Amino acid sequence: MTNKQEKIRNFSIIAHIDHGKSTLADRILEKTLAVASRDMEEQLLDNMDLERERGITIKARAVRLNYKAKNGEEYYFNLIDTPGHVDFGYEVSRSLQACEGALLVVDATQGVEAQTLANAYLAIDNDLEILPVINKIDLASADVEGARREIEDIIGIPAEDCPAVSAKVGLNIEDVLEKIVTDIPAPKGDPNASLKALIFDSHYDSYLGVVVYVRVVEGTLRAGERIRLMAKGTEFEVIEVGTMEAFGLNKTDSLSAGEVGYITASIKTVGDTRVGDTVTTAENGADEPLPGFREVHPMVYSGIYPADGARYGDLREALEKLQLNDASLVFEPETSVALGFGFRCGFLGLLHMEIIEERLEREFNLDLITTAPSVIYKVKLRSGETVMIDNPSAFPSPDEIDTSYEPVMKATVITPTEYVGGIMDLCQERRVVFVDMKYLDTTRVELHYELPLNEIIYDFFDALKSRSKGYASLDYELKDYRPSRLVKLDFMLNGEVVDALSFIVFEDRAYTRARKIAEKLKENIPRQLFEIPIQAAIGSKIIARETVKAMRKDVLAKCYGGDITRKKKLLEKQKEGKKKMRKLGSVEVTPEAFMAVLRLDDDN
Amino acid sequence: MITDPTPRTSLGEGKSSRKNSATEARGGGNPIGLYLHIPFCVRKCNYCDFCSKPPSENDFDKYFERLKSEFSDYKRSPKIKINSLFIGGGTPSLLPLGYFTRLFDFISDTFDFCEDCEITAEINPGTLTEEKAKEYRALGINRISIGLQSIHENELKMLGRIHSFEDFLCSYSLLQSLGFDNISVDLMYGIPEQTAKSLKETLEKIIALNPQHISLYGLIIEEGTRFANRLSELNLPSEDEECDMYYLASELLRRAGYSHYEISNYAREGYECRHNLKYWNTDEYIGIGAAAHSFFLGQRYGNTRDLFSVVRDPLANGETDADEYVMMRLRLSDGLSLDEYRKRYGTDFCHGREKLLFRLKDLGLLTLDGGKIRLTERGFYVSNSILTELL
Repeated sequence: MTNKQEKIRNFSIIAHIDHGKSTLADRILEKTLAVASRDMEEQLLDNMDLERERGITIKARAVRLNYKAKNGEEYYFNLIDTPGHVDFGYEVSRSLQACEGALLVVDATQGVEAQTLANAYLAIDNDLEILPVINKIDLASADVEGARREIEDIIGIPAEDCPAVSAKVGLNIEDVLEKIVTDIPAPKGDPNASLKALIFDSHYDSYLGVVVYVRVVEGTLRAGERIRLMAKGTEFEVIEVGTMEAFGLNKTDSLSAGEVGYITASIKTVGDTRVGDTVTTAENGADEPLPGFREVHPMVYSGIYPADGARYGDLREALEKLQLNDASLVFEPETSVALGFGFRCGFLGLLHMEIIEERLEREFNLDLITTAPSVIYKVKLRSGETVMIDNPSAFPSPDEIDTSYEPVMKATVITPTEYVGGIMDLCQERRVVFVDMKYLDTTRVELHYELPLNEIIYDFFDALKSRSKGYASLDYELKDYRPSRLVKLDFMLNGEVVDALSFIVFEDRAYTRARKIAEKLKENIPRQLFEIPIQAAIGSKIIARETVKAMRKDVLAKCYGGDITRKKKLLEKQKEGKKKMRKLGSVEVTPEAFMAVLRLDDDN
Repeated sequence: MITDPTPRTSLGEGKSSRKNSATEARGGGNPIGLYLHIPFCVRKCNYCDFCSKPPSENDFDKYFERLKSEFSDYKRSPKIKINSLFIGGGTPSLLPLGYFTRLFDFISDTFDFCEDCEITAEINPGTLTEEKAKEYRALGINRISIGLQSIHENELKMLGRIHSFEDFLCSYSLLQSLGFDNISVDLMYGIPEQTAKSLKETLEKIIALNPQHISLYGLIIEEGTRFANRLSELNLPSEDEECDMYYLASELLRRAGYSHYEISNYAREGYECRHNLKYWNTDEYIGIGAAAHSFFLGQRYGNTRDLFSVVRDPLANGETDADEYVMMRLRLSDGLSLDEYRKRYGTDFCHGREKLLFRLKDLGLLTLDGGKIRLTERGFYVSNSILTELL
């Protein structure tokens, strides 16, 4: 170990959602005096509004901090922030790989939860030193001893002398900093070996191009050198290297083994810099990349359309901008008879999808119509060919299909024991294969299941929350594709198929779903001058029908004392409303109504 | 509220772009309508959002001062001719004896009554006396519009009316005995607690009296009214029940020989309200009094609700545009004449609307006969949606 390495501590903070990860990061920043408190924006690491609002971090960021320890020595802390949601599990694991230790934050009022465990396991898999931190001890309902016991019993790591803090009020933060120095190992690695640097994040900057965040594992990375990204073998010339300070990028000559920093190299898109990839030198490079790299593929697809068709170009630009910083977002143009021009977008998961939608609406001021999310189905055709289907409208007709397959997830649910019954019932309704049940302690149970992703994106998460009064937590990852009986369900208004409403469903579920959606359409389609038949069909077989009766009354009875302005205003208002209507065949539907039909998860 | 009121002196001045009607309206031209608003009531009804209130001391005299001043804005030589006068409210019959006479002095100072002028006064059964009725008769008032709404005491009470059905019958026979032979009765449907049966009873009783004209309005809950404030506790008929009432009423009145000449109005032949027809024909009229609206010299404007001073707001889109014409004409069973439309606007109304018109025809919502587009009974009742489609 070099002298330099001895003074470096690379760590992440991991936690279940809302356990206080970002707040603790703030306090650590504050205490290390990297920035004066008054200058510091709340939650500096989370630099996107939306993330802040949801209390989660989407893109990893890192920052280098100076800390003068009680032993009188000066240390460099590299705090690598991690995304905090199940959709970003792979990114979390790569961030952890860049560290030697992790602060595992546990809310003293909640104890260990599903993502606490999932994150802890990830950290253990990456051979990290785990430093538990019990947070929120300022709250009246805090049970510090209970949290300690859970950490020891459930996760199996010692916690008797772990720091108990309140990140919110800044209590005992010093203890955490000292523990980082004493308990987290300094990095190792030979600065003179062949270069191996791990990419754990990147972001697009309009001046610098892509800024790549790396942890140098072996060797030294120098400005001006030619590098190779080992996954695809693409080469670039390094323009700049440096460290990330709280106030911004700080240019240096080189980064050596154990250090965390950034590279710029005229890289145009973040898609070229895959998280988990290894950077080496073009000449005398490493033979083997660092372990653990994999391609990330979208799991959930949805059609996104501008509510106002004229804003298609704006939507494309907005998606392109978001993609600059989010290689996991994919999209391609698609056309719907009902919705016009839009994009089929792929996401890592439901949350990722919601975040993108919200950012499009908020940052780019777009009104969107989104179709029901769909997973990717695999269909083996009678012709012998196998196709992947991410869009219900592309689903082959029943007579072409030999076997269809759907993605099945390995899921973990942690819940207080009193809700186990309800959750078991739910799982039975959802084609769930029960694998295992484990009592974590006397009050909580960990359930292992295998369930189709199709069920998760439908409404499983909300149903789980409602059946456990919000206490159950869920974590899942892809297990495999399994054969399934899938059918495409179409909806017709006035006898015409509305393509945007089609979706793929497990055969036995088709009848109930069809009825539910037909009813919802009936409730939400405003009465028109004519009667509207609603039909749900599998192929040519009608399996549900409803009718929207013709409107009977829409009249302004009186023109008061010659005041015709009221009537004019009313008509103008009606005409305005009509402009916003979406034509579904010959039927006009408000965008709100359309969304209400697609939102299937709110009343089950 | 438009913030730039038209200066009062500008009426009829400097409107060179509307030369023809300006010349006419200065006198000698086609007669126009005159509306007079009396904004006082014994008590405001629960559904009412008209400009009206119980009068305070001296309010009548102060209001008359205002009217006098407003009349003077319309003095021309020769005088503007009127062939319809409508004294509405509020409750005009609340004015004490003698006030109508003063009112008619103002009117004849400023306007020239045509020989056959239709002169309507709105009255409220609780406020009419024999002396007042005789005064009206003597002044030449030849049409009376009585606000009844319902024959059922519970419904009258619900609406906050001050009179009983008995009061109405007294007023009605009084008017008949004095020789009034053009009487209109205002009725209402969609009243909380009203049923198709109770509406039928109301209609049958009134039909038996054989008035020349019946107006039947659907109750609308307007913002700021007592009803709006306790909307949740009102036992309003459902939309379907209301529709049933509307069709029931149309059917009963049609069978009794009344023609359904406008969405909410029924009349014996020859007794259509000339004054109201002016609104629907987009003819010109002058409104005097608080909140009264005018369409004069090609301009639409409205007085504010100020009782004692005259402030006029020009109304946006003052010109009678084609859409407005269609909107008003389609309220009438007489319908929209395609010839007339072409004459007025130089374009063919059907052009580009052929498919839509035939579709609406197939749906039974309108007829296309004799060069006229007419809404059917069912069409009347969804006229807003039809207009939204057409315009």
